Amino acid sequence: MTLADIRIALPLLILAIGALLTLICGAVTRKQTIATTIAVLAAVGAGLAAMTAPAVLVAPSLGLSASGLTRLFIVCFALMSAAVLVLSSGYNVYRDIRGEEYPATILFATFGMVALACATNLLIIFLGLEAMTFGFYILVAIDREQRVSSEAGLKYLLLGAVSAAFLAFGIALLYCVAGTLGISEVMQRTLAGTPNPVALAGWACLLIGIAFKLSLVPAHLWTPDVYEAAPAPVVAFLSGASKAAAVLLLLLLLPQAGDLAILRVPLFALALFSMVVGNLAALRQNRVRRMLAYSSIAQMGYVALALLSHKGGGFQAAAFYAIAYGIMSLAAFGAIGILERNGCGANLDDYRGRGFSHPLAAGVLAIALFSLAGIPPTIGFTGKFLIFASAIRAGEIALAILGILTAAVSVYYYLRVVTALYLQRSEHEERERLGVFETAVLGLSSVLIILLGLFPSPLLDFLRTQLP
Amino acid sequence: MTQFPILTLLILLPLLSAICLIPLKKREESAKYVALGLTLVELALACWTWSAAGGHPASGAPPGFFLFEDFAWIDTLGIRFTLGMDGISLLMVIMTVLLTLICLLVSWRTIHERTALHYMLLLVMESSILGVFLSLDLFLFYLFWEAMIVPMFFLIGIWGHGRNLYSAVKFFVFTLSGSLLMLLAIIGIYLIHGRQSGIYTFNLTALIGTSLDPAVGLWLYAAFLLGFAIKFPLVPLHTWLPDAHTDAPTAGSIDLAGLLLKTGAYGLLRFGYPLFPEASRTLTPLLIGMAVCGILYASWIAFAQKDMKRLVAYSSVGHMGFVALGIAAWTPLALSGAVMQMVSHGVTTSALFALVGMLAARTKTLEISAYGGLWSKVPVLSCFFLLFAMASAGLPGLNNFVGEFLILLGSYKVQQTATILAFLGLIMALVYTVRLVQELLFQEERRPLALTDATSLEILTLAILALSVLFIGLHPGPLLDMLALPVNILTGGTP
Repeated sequence: MTLADIRIALPLLILAIGALLTLICGAVTRKQTIATTIAVLAAVGAGLAAMTAPAVLVAPSLGLSASGLTRLFIVCFALMSAAVLVLSSGYNVYRDIRGEEYPATILFATFGMVALACATNLLIIFLGLEAMTFGFYILVAIDREQRVSSEAGLKYLLLGAVSAAFLAFGIALLYCVAGTLGISEVMQRTLAGTPNPVALAGWACLLIGIAFKLSLVPAHLWTPDVYEAAPAPVVAFLSGASKAAAVLLLLLLLPQAGDLAILRVPLFALALFSMVVGNLAALRQNRVRRMLAYSSIAQMGYVALALLSHKGGGFQAAAFYAIAYGIMSLAAFGAIGILERNGCGANLDDYRGRGFSHPLAAGVLAIALFSLAGIPPTIGFTGKFLIFASAIRAGEIALAILGILTAAVSVYYYLRVVTALYLQRSEHEERERLGVFETAVLGLSSVLIILLGLFPSPLLDFLRTQLP
Repeated sequence: MTQFPILTLLILLPLLSAICLIPLKKREESAKYVALGLTLVELALACWTWSAAGGHPASGAPPGFFLFEDFAWIDTLGIRFTLGMDGISLLMVIMTVLLTLICLLVSWRTIHERTALHYMLLLVMESSILGVFLSLDLFLFYLFWEAMIVPMFFLIGIWGHGRNLYSAVKFFVFTLSGSLLMLLAIIGIYLIHGRQSGIYTFNLTALIGTSLDPAVGLWLYAAFLLGFAIKFPLVPLHTWLPDAHTDAPTAGSIDLAGLLLKTGAYGLLRFGYPLFPEASRTLTPLLIGMAVCGILYASWIAFAQKDMKRLVAYSSVGHMGFVALGIAAWTPLALSGAVMQMVSHGVTTSALFALVGMLAARTKTLEISAYGGLWSKVPVLSCFFLLFAMASAGLPGLNNFVGEFLILLGSYKVQQTATILAFLGLIMALVYTVRLVQELLFQEERRPLALTDATSLEILTLAILALSVLFIGLHPGPLLDMLALPVNILTGGTP
């Protein structure tokens, strides 16, 4: 191993060692705060290591690389997992989730994401993706006392296993055609020229597997149950980071191919159905988390639209939106976690009047919802703007119009929550209980939503140098 | 850019004032005074910009603009923070600041809970509306255009009455759906211009020269027109307005009728027509049809209203129909008239909403049939009511007459039938206004209502508005001079 190898693997090493330390720490002391602190430090350390790593490193012997895009996403994953750990420390007391395995699993899942981000061949990608998902199998069902939690965990596990099988099979088929697992070779050999039927089958399997991770229709069935039952910070992590990881996976693969005409039809269908089904189904939900689950399906439909419009700069838009959606998820589910901890139920009616009794959490939730709805000046608006601009530039006008119409529909259900929070009254006047760190995380994420919405230039310029 | 960025300051000051109010959440009295003080500063700033009118335009400014500011913002996408002020913007800006002041005064004694938040929302609203009136960059314009519906939503929803939740959501969804399609059209013209010239920019002046395929232009313009027509509102897209106006608190109604509707008209004349000269000519009959329908239909419906606030709301639809007619005629005279009518309607309708709000605060009812005999019981309020009602009906010497007269005069040359029909609408407006005045002021008392006459604060509020009514009505010269240059430039004449 050379020094470059170590530099490139440093975030991975920090995360793995941090996770192990967290587990060992559990043998010494049962104090939750110590385990959480170690885990947060490891996550932040991994982020810093990625941030300071020199640009464009390749470690061929490890199958890892660290381009600018990769490092950007690694930093996002690491910071998001740190934020989720901070949010969990309060929330888990309320849900009575104890033990050092929780922070350790979060770190393992982050490890998977980082591995995926660094990958240069399909095998590492598969390992990273499944390491991440494996972490989530545990995290979703970690509240063993509740039956809904186990049910959601089982559903996620079963569907996840099927999708993993699809992924593995797809990769195997692509390997058959390309004769190698290296990303760039696979991309060039399987998508160029007249399509090879085996390659097509491989791509179909791969897309099905990724659609599951992104919860695109028709592979979305697990989403509402998992979003409803899992601990709120876990949902924030799942929705924000794991979907960003899946988008990153596509961003690592697709730009390497010269021609993506073959993928147009499946991507078109995925985008179309996700936008329509997600937004329409969300209209009928009366439970806030389920509503946001369907909304996340629709949001990922917009990302699929961006990927489809790669000729108009859609890759940049997709990367921007993936990060934006991560921040919005963190804010939304972080706030929901705080509200639930303060005695708010799962139904929309339980959110009534919380805007005034719990100003901070409700305010952050409202900002996140307005951002998800694409109201300026938020990052959600800028992201949607980029997506639709690239869609029109790439000539996908029908889908762009359909997307904007479904976005108009979506405003209604986001507003329902805001209406409940601020416009409806209820009797309860309990005080908001909030930790300092939680306040900091929520405040930071809502500031980022507004700030990156108003001044997206730094991020955009960076993405422009990284993606076609 | 060596000059002082006054326009940016105009937009930022209300926003900063709103932020100043956050720590004063618990101390509502001081919050009110801070808001009022900063709004007066804002008014002074707005009046100061008047002194720049007619001065030498800043370098790089499009013709007609005497104040111009341009800052880098999102360069990668060709988005710049470009603001400019010409005569039209100036009038709109002064009206906005003045009406916001009125909103603050009207809410002074009527809003008792979450006062600081109420004032904050009014200030945020002011900031975004000023942004709409000053933006010369399509992206920036759109940003303000959409941002302004958020504070309005909360104003209606939190302090409204009746079916305010329904109205707030309806308002939000209705206006947003229209503008989302406009967003696609904005992106469309941006890309077309970029492909033609190789320069991707949202700058209005650059985009105006874009040559468009007629069919494409028509679709793009239709999307713009839809967005503007909903805000306007033109029949048949007006259904959100009566609900929103009726259920909003008084300050919300004033903001809606006085300012928010004007953004639709302003958008049409600043962006719609100049960007799509051909398509807008093609669709002029549609606009005229909607305008005339609006005038006649709204006047007719207003006549049947039992609720005062709803009546005033429908009268707004009618008056805005005149504005649409003036814009559709697109002659210098009619266009000046349209802008004058926008200002006049802003003042008059705000005054009527304020008066209705004052009456309702005393009697807790908005039903016309509950009132009667106010003339002898509350002479001061009644005097003001009569003045504003007559102004609204278009009595010569008062403000609305100027705008309506100019619109009719300017559009008669190009659209005779429509003008005649609109004139009929004017008569109908007179009828329902006189009926309202008769039922409220002069009929015998129908229900014993506990009424007290205007307080000094209310007199101050109404007096400001009455002075504006008389000033515009009796001495419109300075305002028309202000409009002459930009209107000539818009209609293609030489400056």
